[in-house]
Amino acid sequence: MDMSLNVMKSSWNPFHPRFYFPLALVVFLFILPILPQKTYYQDLILMIFFWGTLAAAWNLVGGFAGQISLGHTAFFGIGAYTSTLLWLEFGLSPWLGMFAGAGLAILVAIGIGVPCFRLRSHFFALATIAFAEVLRYVASYWRGLTQGGVGLLIPFRPALGSFMFHGKLPYAYIALGLMLLIILVSAIIRNSRFGFYLVSLREDQDAAETLGVNTSRCKLIALIISVFFTAVVGTFYAQYLLFIDPDSVFSLPFSIELALLTIIGGLGTVIGPIIGSFILTPLDVLLRGWLGGISAGLNFIVYGIVLVVAVIYFPRGIAGWLKTWYEPLLNRLPGSKLAFAPGGTASSPPYTTRATNPGNPDPPDEQITAPLFKAQSLTKYFGGLAAVKDVSFEINQGEILGLIGPNGAGKTTIFNAITGFLSPDSGRIEFRGKEITDLKPPHKVCLTHIGRTFQLVKPFNNMTVLENVMVGTFSRVRGAKGAREEAIKVLDFIGLLKQRDSLASSLTIADRKRLELGRALATKPELLLLDEVVAGLNPRETEEIIKIIRAISQQGITLFIIEHVMKAIMTLSHRIIVLHHGEMIAEGTPEEISRDKRVIDAYLGEEYLA
Amino acid sequence: MVATLVQLIINGLLLGGIYALISIGLTLIFGVVEIINFAHGEFLMLSMYASFWLFQLYGVDPYLSLFMVIPAFFVIGWATQRIIIQPIIHAPPLNQIFATVGVSMVLQNAALFFWKADYRTVRTAYSTLSLKTGGLMISFPRLVAFVLALLIIAALLIFLKQTYTGKAIRALAQEKRAAMLMGIDIYRMYRIAFGIGIACVGAAGAILIPIYYAFPTVGALFVLIAFVVVILGGYNSLVGALIGGLIIGLVEAFSGFFLSPHLKEAVYFVIFIFILLLRPVGLFGRA
Amino acid sequence: MPTWGRSTLLNLDTISTYYGDVQALRKVSLHVKEGQIVSIVGSNGAGKSTTLNTISGVVQCSSGTIEFLGKRIENLPPHQIVEMGLVQIPEARLLFPYMTVLENLELGSFASRARKETKESLESVFELFPILRDRKNQLAGTLSGGEQQMLAIARGLMAKPQLLMLDEPSLGLAPLLVKQVFETVKRINAQGITVLLVEQNVFHSLSVADEAFVLENGSVVLGGPGKEVLDNPQVREAYLGI
Repeated sequence: MDMSLNVMKSSWNPFHPRFYFPLALVVFLFILPILPQKTYYQDLILMIFFWGTLAAAWNLVGGFAGQISLGHTAFFGIGAYTSTLLWLEFGLSPWLGMFAGAGLAILVAIGIGVPCFRLRSHFFALATIAFAEVLRYVASYWRGLTQGGVGLLIPFRPALGSFMFHGKLPYAYIALGLMLLIILVSAIIRNSRFGFYLVSLREDQDAAETLGVNTSRCKLIALIISVFFTAVVGTFYAQYLLFIDPDSVFSLPFSIELALLTIIGGLGTVIGPIIGSFILTPLDVLLRGWLGGISAGLNFIVYGIVLVVAVIYFPRGIAGWLKTWYEPLLNRLPGSKLAFAPGGTASSPPYTTRATNPGNPDPPDEQITAPLFKAQSLTKYFGGLAAVKDVSFEINQGEILGLIGPNGAGKTTIFNAITGFLSPDSGRIEFRGKEITDLKPPHKVCLTHIGRTFQLVKPFNNMTVLENVMVGTFSRVRGAKGAREEAIKVLDFIGLLKQRDSLASSLTIADRKRLELGRALATKPELLLLDEVVAGLNPRETEEIIKIIRAISQQGITLFIIEHVMKAIMTLSHRIIVLHHGEMIAEGTPEEISRDKRVIDAYLGEEYLA
Repeated sequence: MVATLVQLIINGLLLGGIYALISIGLTLIFGVVEIINFAHGEFLMLSMYASFWLFQLYGVDPYLSLFMVIPAFFVIGWATQRIIIQPIIHAPPLNQIFATVGVSMVLQNAALFFWKADYRTVRTAYSTLSLKTGGLMISFPRLVAFVLALLIIAALLIFLKQTYTGKAIRALAQEKRAAMLMGIDIYRMYRIAFGIGIACVGAAGAILIPIYYAFPTVGALFVLIAFVVVILGGYNSLVGALIGGLIIGLVEAFSGFFLSPHLKEAVYFVIFIFILLLRPVGLFGRA
Repeated sequence: MPTWGRSTLLNLDTISTYYGDVQALRKVSLHVKEGQIVSIVGSNGAGKSTTLNTISGVVQCSSGTIEFLGKRIENLPPHQIVEMGLVQIPEARLLFPYMTVLENLELGSFASRARKETKESLESVFELFPILRDRKNQLAGTLSGGEQQMLAIARGLMAKPQLLMLDEPSLGLAPLLVKQVFETVKRINAQGITVLLVEQNVFHSLSVADEAFVLENGSVVLGGPGKEVLDNPQVREAYLGI
């Protein structure tokens, strides 16, 4: 888990290094600008804060959400130009102009983000570059507005209200303030429901949707926050240098720099971008001094090589490496033996689901309750081929319905239609009496209490087991504390409590399947769709997971299961429906199905019984 | 008026031919190796410099230098694939993007370091020659550039259509696993495809130098155009790159005349954005 | 010729294959003798395609050995395995959709050992599947399901295989076409090509097989002469779980 989480948790005890060490670092940062004598170094420190803030802002979109934007310079430039023009034309204080710039940048970002987020990563990157370039042209050639390539000069009239000061110190502290603010915002986000949702959608967008994450909205919010900070820093830049022109504020190398700092520091971590800035900004200035002095461009050659090497050989950045000796360092400091967080482990009530029908393993009486789920004449074509044709079935509350059929029979298509990944061409789907046929995108289906797992499991690899399940519990509980408590209950139920702090990527396949189950359970579904949960498990693992599935059913959750491993589905299901070439060819109890001629035909070939 | 329009059309097509040649290399690389080469423009820049120095130091005519540039850049492309692209071929998109972006940075600044920022061009006996017919003026070097570009594209298309290796490359782009099962060494095909793609852009550089300037960041200019062409034509269609290049040439000629010479670049960016949003597969692409 | 007299063309010895850390094959051992038709049957997810892909080198096995014509091949890249005469016709056919029938066939003989005989090979596959000759300039993606299957098989034959592996050739085909596919398999075998056939359709594939292996959850649970396996009730168990 991220270091920042420990900082948050530890604010209980001020004598524990987890609290005072970061505090000491912050104090050090405050002292830093007044240490050097030469303004050259003050400027360097200011630049570190400046780039750190920008990189951290970019990290919200590029790191947390995983959307690689190479057009962030657009927002920087909008911020710079807006506040400058408002000051020069109307005398509006840049403190206010800053917000105007941010506001405009946010509007532009929404205009760009909404259509572009659905592009694949390479194309998204290209689109963002294109947008930024268009803005650069506009700034360069709309002379009436921006004075074009000549740029804008701000006359130096120092005053607090005009955001201009003598000397570098005030600027340095403003920059530091911005940097600390973005760190705080990033840390709060990282440990909040929103942060979990961002990381989950980066790791696997489809899985996140099925857990109730509105991925489009999350991406947009991350973008808005990121753009706000970027534009504000744009204003700061204009007020610091007192000169802006299109090539310096709308520059592609600028956008690349943001990404470079973040990657080297540690993509997706809270302090990664800051570390990146602390290392690369002085390095850049140094290289520029040495090599740039020899000849222009030499420093960038080194830069480019660093980028290529870092990306190929150290994709995780420095923050990951630092984490490994942060803990031991803390343990050596005085006060580390003290307890740092209050609260213990009160015995929590066992895991329960939303279902009002506890433990009844027998199939319920069909006359008393209306069917929980109804599918009528479902049809879906892909190209000219009918993947699913006129399929109708019902699922009763509390039962386990199995879905079997040879390869390519259309089973996963039905799951996808139910859970909002695609819309059927015709037919009707009803759940708890309400129609959900065209309910899209998948997160809305999750909110109606239908959950699913995937055939090829989709763990959020860079999150721990606990965090994975928390993404699920967040759909029912807003606060992080509550979400964690609920998640622990779920982990206890499925038997993964011991591994709760392990990364999902380190689990065995059997445990990953359990995790997938647990995550879906965390959303408290009434109907749970399981897609080939047993596939790839050895006999002992199969037995264990069947036990868990039975326990889920006993909690009253209705199950709809696709399986190929016949032994499993035959022993689990109350009823089974059989699909072949997209059509339903049989329906009945496991006993009936195994003797049904049509089923045997479908699986073993027509002439088998002849 | 008609004469002006025809003149614009001619200018546009002549320019478009070169754009097509640059873009077709990019399309080939993206279609086969499935990687967006953000450094494509820098290879163009390098070949422009190469032809420039060959002319400056040894008096080799740029069009003749094609015989040296094309094989040399094939080898450069082959090597780039082996050394830089191959390690990241299964890496996440972020890493792929930044690897080629990094290469682009290194090449641009190496050029800046070695050759300074001055604008270089080649002036030959025929540089200012132009043909005048019926009120139209056709610049001779541009005409030669157009013809050569089309010849090279034609040769490429014939290669891909008729030779075994060419067919293997097309097959690989359509269905990778089946290609493996036909006895095709797909990693070797990646190297060949990358080599051809860079050879194309290398040829474009030699053809361009008599009519344009070489400077360290010239690649950035052309590569953005190339991306627009590739997206417009269809990112897995070579014919699309050809037609797309001609279209963009025409768009540039017309918008340069009717709007403003500066805004023409903005125009094709807007086209780019529209295509990405409305029809991402492009005019001739396949989903 | 009685079976014991034939040489072993292909031998798998305790092959285990993983996808990530999902074990798809668990110590699978089987063999194919020269001139035979050998069938591998099993339900979905049993590991049939994985077996063929491991043999073809598309997927790396983690332990065990594979021998073809006496040579170890488990570490060879796919194209070299094709060069040796071990050819797979993949599941779902995987034709090159935007290339013509003729081009698909020509690519079938890409391997250098087959390329010399491209002309003759074309003639013989056109004889086997006359309809392909009629459609030779048509784009492969526009053919019907049955025609695509024929093209896929023909393309495989163009590589001049000594051992031809077919992955579920009857998938998605109407019953009449299914019969035709198995007739074709028998004809190919009669011409001297050894066949390894992977199928879900038990009846047909076990009827034509000289020898058969039943896979369940990545392990071989049954093996023997085709007719015997067909009559064995364990097969039904493996498929239907009862």
